[in-house]
Amino acid sequence: MILEAKDLNYFYQDGDRRRYVLKNTNVGFEKGKFYTILGQSGSGKTTLLSLLSALDSPHSGTVLFNEKDIKQIGYEKYRRNNVGIIFQSYNLIPSFTAVENVLVPMSITENEIPEDQKSVAYNLLDYIGIVKSKADRTVNKLSGGEQQRVAIARALATNVELILADEPTGNLDEEMEQEIIDIFKKLAHDHDKCVVVVTHSNEIAEQSDQTFTLQKGNLTAYE
Amino acid sequence: MNFIKRGLLSITRKKGKALILLAVIFILGNVISGSISIQQATGNVEKNIKEKLGAAATVELDYKALENMDEEEQMSIEIADLDLELIKQIGEISYVKYYDYNMSTWLGSESLQSYQGEEMDDAGVEVVADGMSPDFMLKGINYAPVLDFEEGIGNLVEGRIFESQEVENGSSVAIISKKIAEKNDLQIGDNFTLTNSVMDYDETTGEEKVATSRDVVLEVIGLFEPASANVEQSEEDAEMLDFMDIDYQNTIYVPNEIISNESRYQSEEYMKIDEEYAEMVEAEGTDYSDIYTPIFVLKSPEDSVAFEEEVQPLLPELYKVTNAGDQYDSIAAPVESMSKLAGYVLIVAVSATVLIIGLVVLLFLRDRKHELGIYLSLGEQRARVVGQILIEVMVVAVIGITLSLFSGNFLAQGISNTLLNAEDTQMEDDMMYYSELQAYQNNITTDDVVESYEVRLDSSYILMFYLIGLLTILVSTIIPLVYIVRLNPKKIMM
Repeated sequence: MILEAKDLNYFYQDGDRRRYVLKNTNVGFEKGKFYTILGQSGSGKTTLLSLLSALDSPHSGTVLFNEKDIKQIGYEKYRRNNVGIIFQSYNLIPSFTAVENVLVPMSITENEIPEDQKSVAYNLLDYIGIVKSKADRTVNKLSGGEQQRVAIARALATNVELILADEPTGNLDEEMEQEIIDIFKKLAHDHDKCVVVVTHSNEIAEQSDQTFTLQKGNLTAYE
Repeated sequence: MNFIKRGLLSITRKKGKALILLAVIFILGNVISGSISIQQATGNVEKNIKEKLGAAATVELDYKALENMDEEEQMSIEIADLDLELIKQIGEISYVKYYDYNMSTWLGSESLQSYQGEEMDDAGVEVVADGMSPDFMLKGINYAPVLDFEEGIGNLVEGRIFESQEVENGSSVAIISKKIAEKNDLQIGDNFTLTNSVMDYDETTGEEKVATSRDVVLEVIGLFEPASANVEQSEEDAEMLDFMDIDYQNTIYVPNEIISNESRYQSEEYMKIDEEYAEMVEAEGTDYSDIYTPIFVLKSPEDSVAFEEEVQPLLPELYKVTNAGDQYDSIAAPVESMSKLAGYVLIVAVSATVLIIGLVVLLFLRDRKHELGIYLSLGEQRARVVGQILIEVMVVAVIGITLSLFSGNFLAQGISNTLLNAEDTQMEDDMMYYSELQAYQNNITTDDVVESYEVRLDSSYILMFYLIGLLTILVSTIIPLVYIVRLNPKKIMM
C-alpha cells in the first residue's frame, strides 16, 4: 500500500454535539491503480481527500504514506515531496504562464528534478496535451479543460507517485471530462502512479479500478 | 523558479499594483527624505558653528540673573569674588586643555607712542591727549606660553615667551606688538617706561589732574602680531576690525603680578587723596583684592556641556559658566525651530508610512489570498512565502526610496528657504552682554548660521534615509504578513 488511512475520525463541533463526517474510516490505495471515491455533496469526500493530502489533520486516526505516518513526515514536507493535488477549480496562479505554473512546484520540492526544469515542464505539458505555444500563455487565456491539464502537469512536476484529485472534471464538459479521465488512467496504468479521484459522477467511477462510496461517515468499497 | 524569482516575476506581471505601491512609497518617502535632509542640515550647522565658535569657556557673573532680580534684592545681595583656588581647581578638570586667569589695567606713557591705526600713522598725525592718556592696556597672564598665542589671536614673531619663573616672580618683562616696537624703535632687550598715574577729580572745577604717579619700567622680551591681520573682510567689518586692531596693537602682555602691584598702588594712593573713599573702604572692610578673569580652553567644543555640568555646582552664587558655543543658542533660533519641526514631521511621516503601507500590503495580500494558498498547498514553507512578499515590497521600496531620495532633498531645499526667511523676519534681537570670552570666539551672527545652512546630498544623509526608509517599510510589511502565517490552505483551496 502506498497510502493508508487508519481509524480516521473527523467531526464538526455543533454546540455540545459532534457531527461526524468520517467515523473510524479505514482505506488503502496501491500504486498502478486508478481509484474513485464516490459520494453526494456534503458526504465528506472532500474532507477525506484533504486529510489524505495533509491539507487538514484528523481528530484521531492516522494517514500512512509508504507505511509512515504523514504527521511524522511533516504535513508540509509530505505535500512538497510525496503528493500531487488537483483541485476542481484548477487553482493556478493567474498571472503566470502555463509553464511557469508547472515550474513553481519544481522549485519547492526536495525531490530530484533534472537540471533543465523548463524543458521538463514543456515536455510534461506536451504529454498532457498542451503545446508549446499555449504553454507560454498566461493561464487565464486558456480554456477550462486546458487549465485543468496544466494543473495535472503541475501535480506531476515533482515526480510523485501519488495523485489526489478533488472533482477534477466538475467544471468541464463531457468530452473534456473523458479526456482528463483518460489521462488519469494512463498515469495509473502506464506510469505506475496511484491516482485517487473524488467525484460524484458514476460515469467516472465506472471507469476506475476500484470505487469507494462515502455515506454518513462510512466508507464502503466496491470492485 | 524559487521564491525570489517568483517575487520578481510578480512585480513585472502585476504592474498596476506595483505602480500603486511605488507611488505611495514615493510620496511618503519624499516627506521622510525631506525631514531627514532638514535634520541633517541643521545638525551640520550646529556642529560647524560650534566648531567655529571655539572651545573656550569662562566663569563670570550671571548678569541676566542679576537683571531679573528686583531692586531690593540687588541692593542686599553680596557678590563674592572668584577665588583663585577655585579657578585652579576648575583648571584641573579633565576637559580642560589649558587655562589662564588674567588681570588688566590701562597705563599711559610719556616716552612711548601708541598705535592709532594705519591711516593716522601714514598721515603723520598724532593724537595728542590732554595730559597723558592711558593708551596701553596691560594684560596680565599666568600661563607662560600666553593663551592668546596658543589660541591664534596673536603670533609671537620675534623674541620669546615668558618663563615660568618670570610669571611667578612678577618680573618686569613684557611682550609688545611689533607695530609699537617699530614706532618707538624698540628692540628685544630694550627697556621702556609706562606711567601709573593716580588722578584726582576736583568737584568744584570739574578738572582732573595727576595727584601722584610712578614709573613702571619693563623690558621687551618678545614681539607679537595680530593673527587676523591678513583676513579679507567687507568694508563695514573692516572698520570694526580696525578699531579692534588698534586696541590689540596697544596691548602689552606682562605677568599678573605686575598688574596686581600697580592696581594695589593705585588703590592705596587714591585712598590717601580721597578721605571719604578711604573711610568707606575701612567701614565696609573691603580691602583691595585681585580680580581675575579666567579663560579655560577645552579639549573639544563637544566637551562644553559636560564641563558646564561639572563646574556649575562649584561656583559661588550668581556665577555661571559661559561657553563660546553658547552664542549658538541665541543666534540659531530659525535653524533650531526648523530642526524641531522636521523632527515632528519625521515621526508623523514614519507612523503614517507604517500605517498606510501596512494597509496597502494587507489589501494586496487579501487580493492574493488564493495565490498564497496555492504555494502553501504545494508544500512551500511559510517563511519563503513571507520572503517572496517581502522581496516584492522591498524591490518596489528601493526604487521608490531612491527616487524620493533626490526629490525629497530638492523639496527640503525649497521648504528650508521659505521657513528660514519666515523665521528670520520674526527674530527679535536678544539683549547682549559683553563677555570676556568674546575675544576667544569668532563673531557669528544669525546670518552666518542661515548662510552655513545647506541641504546636501551627502553620504550620511543617503545612508540615514535608506536605513529609516527601508526599515519603516520593512516594519509596515511584516505586520500584515501575520496574515500569511494564519492562512489555512484547505479553506482557501477546497
